Amino acid sequence: MFAHDFLEEAAQNNALLQIHPHTKLFLGLGTIFLVLFAPHFLIPFIASLVLSITIVFIAKINLKFYLSLLSIPLGFATLSVLVVILLSKGQEPIWSWQVLSWLPLSISQESLNRGLLIFFRIMGGMSALFFISLTTPMTDLFGVMKQLKVPDLFIDLSMIIYRFIFIFIKKAHDIYLAQQMRMGYSKPKEAVKSYSMLFGSIFITSWDAGEQFINAMECRCYNGKYPKNVSYNPVEWRSLTPVILFLISIIISSMLASGYQG
Amino acid sequence: MHIMEGFLPPLWAAIWWIVALPFVIYGFVRLKQTIDENKDALPLLGICGALIFILSALKLPSVTGSCSHPTGTGLSAIVFGPFITAIIGFIVLLFQALFLAHGGLSTLGANTFSMAICGPFLGYYVYRALKDTKINIYITVFIAVALADLFTYVITALELALAVPAGEVGFIGLFITFLGVFAVTQIPLAILEGAVLALVFKYIVDIKPDIITKMKIFSEEQIHAARGKIQ
Repeated sequence: MFAHDFLEEAAQNNALLQIHPHTKLFLGLGTIFLVLFAPHFLIPFIASLVLSITIVFIAKINLKFYLSLLSIPLGFATLSVLVVILLSKGQEPIWSWQVLSWLPLSISQESLNRGLLIFFRIMGGMSALFFISLTTPMTDLFGVMKQLKVPDLFIDLSMIIYRFIFIFIKKAHDIYLAQQMRMGYSKPKEAVKSYSMLFGSIFITSWDAGEQFINAMECRCYNGKYPKNVSYNPVEWRSLTPVILFLISIIISSMLASGYQG
Repeated sequence: MHIMEGFLPPLWAAIWWIVALPFVIYGFVRLKQTIDENKDALPLLGICGALIFILSALKLPSVTGSCSHPTGTGLSAIVFGPFITAIIGFIVLLFQALFLAHGGLSTLGANTFSMAICGPFLGYYVYRALKDTKINIYITVFIAVALADLFTYVITALELALAVPAGEVGFIGLFITFLGVFAVTQIPLAILEGAVLALVFKYIVDIKPDIITKMKIFSEEQIHAARGKIQ
């Protein structure tokens, strides 16, 4: 039931924790952005490879854990890419099959290229996203939001959500174990009932928790704003230079590839 | 059903961001008004956001064999209305992208549009339409939540189909194919989510009905009628 391992835990213990969040976000967001414009599938493939190596060897994230994470998007990507390859248009079909009168399937060089491009764009984008979530804890992201002058209310709401996610996960897990011990998930019908009870009781306890939270905050003179302390190690050229070089090489290779194709 | 990072080409990613942002910003304005009137609402809203996150992180009892999980925004739409759900949904989707690798940042606009805007709006108006009729309140919740879920999935399929240049089958064919590919998991999931949230509602009515009357979700008579039926 709790199959999703929390990336946050890994993020709090990764080897790149002390690097300034701007550098890390620059790499992650820059790659996400640039990979979208890549004309050939090799570019996102290499970007994904480089970022994965960075995650596993430099940030020291467990390889097995990282691979299990990467398999989450694979299912979605494979299904959607299959549809793209079989149904999108191309000049000369390599293979075609009229399954139903309204559903002609065909594979052409173009649709194959497009499918591969989308597949690796997903992989590239996902590894960049994993890079951000595995190296930058949420608390650092709140600090960056604050520096970017995101409205306080938005940050406060995000922080409360963030805080309560962990409390509720713990509660849900306890209830789930208790239900499982009482054979709560032995039959599908039982499972639906247990699941509803689990969720209902979390809803009610969380509502109570919310009301208590208000009282507790008021005792501490809460006036609708959380004070936030933002301080980081300085941005280092040692880490920023490879990031800039990497991003520039993506841009140059994209430009070369589009020139070659055009 | 989240669209993965990198699936949408830059143009469509930008378009969905532009479509989703006005709703999120207006939701934020509404949120600010609510908080200014009553600053106690902030923790409750935060908790509701966390709850949506948990609901989407818990895997439902797997019927179809895939790891299906509910969207959870239907309940929030019924409790807080669609605009505030848009902003909460936006934050939750951001967390899902960063914590669980569901969805992505460039596709956040598209995911927000389908999951935090379209689904909740439909669910909310279905609930409003059925609220004062004779229909049992649990059935109202079931229909609103299940339709919100289905609508989310239809919009997601639309977003996927629009992003790919269609061949002989045309745009409609592509749209239907995407609908068909994901129908296997999404239709049972919508029904299951509706049933689960209706049962959750029953649980809340049984144990703490004052939440429902306080938020003016259903009137006291309706709750009495519903409780009477059970006992």
